[in-house]
Amino acid sequence: MRLRPLVAAAVAALALAACSPAGPDDAPSGEGATTVTVRLWDEQVAAAYEQSFDEFTRQNPDIQVQVNVVPWKDYFVRLPLDVAGGTVDDVYWLNSSNFGALADGGKLIDVGRELADEQASWVPAAVEQYSRSGTLWGVPALTDGRIAVYYNKAMVEAAGVDPDNLTWHPADPAADTFLPAARKLTRDSAGRTADQPGFDPGAITQYGFNAARDLQAIYYDFVGSNGGRIQAEDGSLAFTDPKTVEAFSYLVKLVNTDHVAPSAADTNDNPDFSRDQFLQGKMALFQSGTYNLKNVGDGATFEWGVAPLVAGPQGRVSVVSSVIAAGNADSPRRDAILKVLRWIGSEEGASYVGEEGAALPAVTAAQQAYFDYWEGQGVDTTFFGDAGGRATIPAPFGPKFEAASTAFNPILNEVFAGRTPVAEGMQQAQDAGNAALR
Amino acid sequence: MAGRRQGARRDTRTAYLLLGPSLFGISAFLVLPILVVAWLALQRWDLIGPRTFVGLDNVVAVAADGRFARSLLITAVFVAIVIPAQTVLGLVAALLLNRGLRGSAAFRVLYVLPWICAPLVLGVVWRWVLAPTDGALNALIGRRVEWLADPVLALPSVAAVTVWTHVGYVALFFSAGLRAIPDTVHEAAMLDGAGAGQRFWRITLPLLRPTTFFVLVTQIIATFQVFDSVYALTPDGGPQGVTDVVAGRIYYEAFEQRAVGQAAVMALVLFVLLVVVTLVQQRWFSRRTTYDLST
Repeated sequence: MRLRPLVAAAVAALALAACSPAGPDDAPSGEGATTVTVRLWDEQVAAAYEQSFDEFTRQNPDIQVQVNVVPWKDYFVRLPLDVAGGTVDDVYWLNSSNFGALADGGKLIDVGRELADEQASWVPAAVEQYSRSGTLWGVPALTDGRIAVYYNKAMVEAAGVDPDNLTWHPADPAADTFLPAARKLTRDSAGRTADQPGFDPGAITQYGFNAARDLQAIYYDFVGSNGGRIQAEDGSLAFTDPKTVEAFSYLVKLVNTDHVAPSAADTNDNPDFSRDQFLQGKMALFQSGTYNLKNVGDGATFEWGVAPLVAGPQGRVSVVSSVIAAGNADSPRRDAILKVLRWIGSEEGASYVGEEGAALPAVTAAQQAYFDYWEGQGVDTTFFGDAGGRATIPAPFGPKFEAASTAFNPILNEVFAGRTPVAEGMQQAQDAGNAALR
Repeated sequence: MAGRRQGARRDTRTAYLLLGPSLFGISAFLVLPILVVAWLALQRWDLIGPRTFVGLDNVVAVAADGRFARSLLITAVFVAIVIPAQTVLGLVAALLLNRGLRGSAAFRVLYVLPWICAPLVLGVVWRWVLAPTDGALNALIGRRVEWLADPVLALPSVAAVTVWTHVGYVALFFSAGLRAIPDTVHEAAMLDGAGAGQRFWRITLPLLRPTTFFVLVTQIIATFQVFDSVYALTPDGGPQGVTDVVAGRIYYEAFEQRAVGQAAVMALVLFVLLVVVTLVQQRWFSRRTTYDLST
C-alpha cells in the first residue's frame, strides 16, 4: 500500500522531466568533452561550419561543437525567448538590428576585451558595426559585401541593355537610363515590352527588376544613392528626409505606374518571390547580395552574370552589413566558448565558409578563398567588393531597430501597394517606428 | 467504528491519488499560467532586460491603444463570419454523411483531414493557392484576384480557409449527434404525418442541441483564439491591418515589440471575454436543451 504513493511520485517526476525544455545543457557530449552549441540561420554556412568544427575538435579534443540551425523567419522571434528562458545556445549569430538590446542587457561576452589580439584581422566595417558602448560584442563571422545586380544574360542581350551602366534619377528623365532599360526588359504574355503600345500590365510574364520593400537589397541602396537617410545619427528614423521620400517615390512608381517590377501583393509578404522569379527565368535584373550568390549559383539553369549596383544621382551607394557570432555571457562554458569564438574568427576556421562559396567571411585573410571558389565557377564577384563602388549608407543600428521595423513595415507595405501616398506613408512609418524606438 | 473511519480515510487517499494527475495538469497548465500572466501584466519586461513593477500602467497603455480595440472588433467580425458558416456547412455535411450512401466513410475521413493537419502547413499551402501570381485559384478562374492583399477580400479569404479547415470536425460531432437520435422518434413523427422539413426543424434540430452547444462553445473559443492560420496567410496583420486578430496582436506585442506586460493584459482581456461568452451560451442552452431522451 505504501508503494503506491512512491510509484505515483516517480511517475510525476518522470512526467516533469519529460516536460522540461531541452537546452544547451542537454547537448550530447563526448566522453569528458565539453560541448559548445552554435546557433545560426544559414543552411549553406552550417554545412561549412560542420567541417570547420570537425577540424577544431581535432585540434581541441576536449571541446565538441554542435551546430543548430534555426530558420531565418523564426530566428529573431525565438532568440529573445530562449535568452529569457536560459535555453539559448552558447554561441549565436546576430545581425545589426538585434545585437544592441542583447549587448545592453549584459547577455553577450565582451569580445573586444577577451579577443582583443584578433581584432585587427577582421573586416573593419564589421568591427565598427558591432561596436557599442566602446566594445565589440561578437566575432565578425560573415560580411555581405556590397549589393550588386544579378542579370539574365539572354534577356539583357535580347533587349540590348548593358547592365553595367545603369543610372536612375528621380527628377531628370534624361539622366535616367535605368527606367528605359527596365521597360525594355519587361514583357507581357503577348511578347510586348513595357515601352510598347498595348502592353498589358495585368499579364506580365517577364519582370524587368525587383523593386520591393526589401531593406537590404533595395530601399536602403536607393535612398543612399539619392543622398537620403534612413536613420539620423541618434538612431531615430529619418524617413521624411526629402531625398528619402524621392527614392521611395521612384521605387513605388516602378511597381505601380511603370509596371516593371512585381506587384506588392506578390512581394510584401513573400521576400523570396523576386529571387524565385529570377531563378525561374521570369525576371531580367535581380538586385541582391552575396547571401543569394549560392542560391543563384545552384538554382539558375540559364547563363547569368553579376553587374554593379544601379547608380543614383549620388553614385553607387550600398548598404554593407555583416553578421557576428556572439558568446552567451550566461553560459557556464565561458572558456570553451572563447576558444570556439577565436576559431570562428581565425583564418583557418573561417576559410571553410569561403572555400565552399557559402558566404563571404568577415575574416579578411579568409576572403580570398571565397573569391577563388566563385572564380572557379566562372562568376565574377568583384562588384560585391570595391569594384562595385566604395560609398555606403549605414546599416540599421540601435537596440530597438527590430521593434521599429516591425512597426513601420505594415505601413511601408501599404506605400508599396500604392494605397498610401508616399509622403504620407513615410511620415506614418517614421512616427510608428520612432514610437517603437522609445 | 475505528474500522469504518480507517476505510473512509483510505477512500479519501485513493480519491486524491486518482484525482492527482488531473489536479496536477490543471494546476500546472491552467492555473499557474493564468497567475503568471496576471503577474506579468503588472510588469514592464522586454524578455532580455530586467522586470520592473509598473502597477496598472500596462492596462492604461492597452486601453489607450486603439489597435487592441480594433483587433477585438476584427475578431468579432471574423467569428461572425466563421461560426455560422462552419456550423451550417458541418450540419449539412453530417446530414449527407448519415444517409448511409456509398463512400460516406471515405468522405468522413476526407472532411476531417484538414482539421488534423497543422494550421501553419495549411496556411502555407493556401498561400500558394491564393497567390496573385502563379496562384492555383487564379489560374483556375483565369483572372488575377489579390485574395490576401486586397483590404476588402483578405478577411473573408482567411475566414473561408478557417471554415474549410474546421467543417469536417464540426460534421464529425453532428454526425455522432444524429446517430444518437433514436429512429423510433422519426418513425413516430412520420406515422403522425410529419414531412421531412417538419421532422428536421421539430425533431432533429431540437434533439441536436447538446451537440450544437458543444460545437458552438468549442468553436467560438477556438475562433476567438485563432492565430496560426491567419498569421501564415497574412503575416503582418494583412493589408491595412484588416486581419489583425486579437491573438495576432498579443503575439505582435509580446514577441515582436517585446512588450510582454501589455501582451499579458490583452491575454487577460481575451480570457475574461471568452469566459463571459461561454457562460452566456451555457445559460442560453441550459434552458432549452434536453440531454436524455428517456426523460
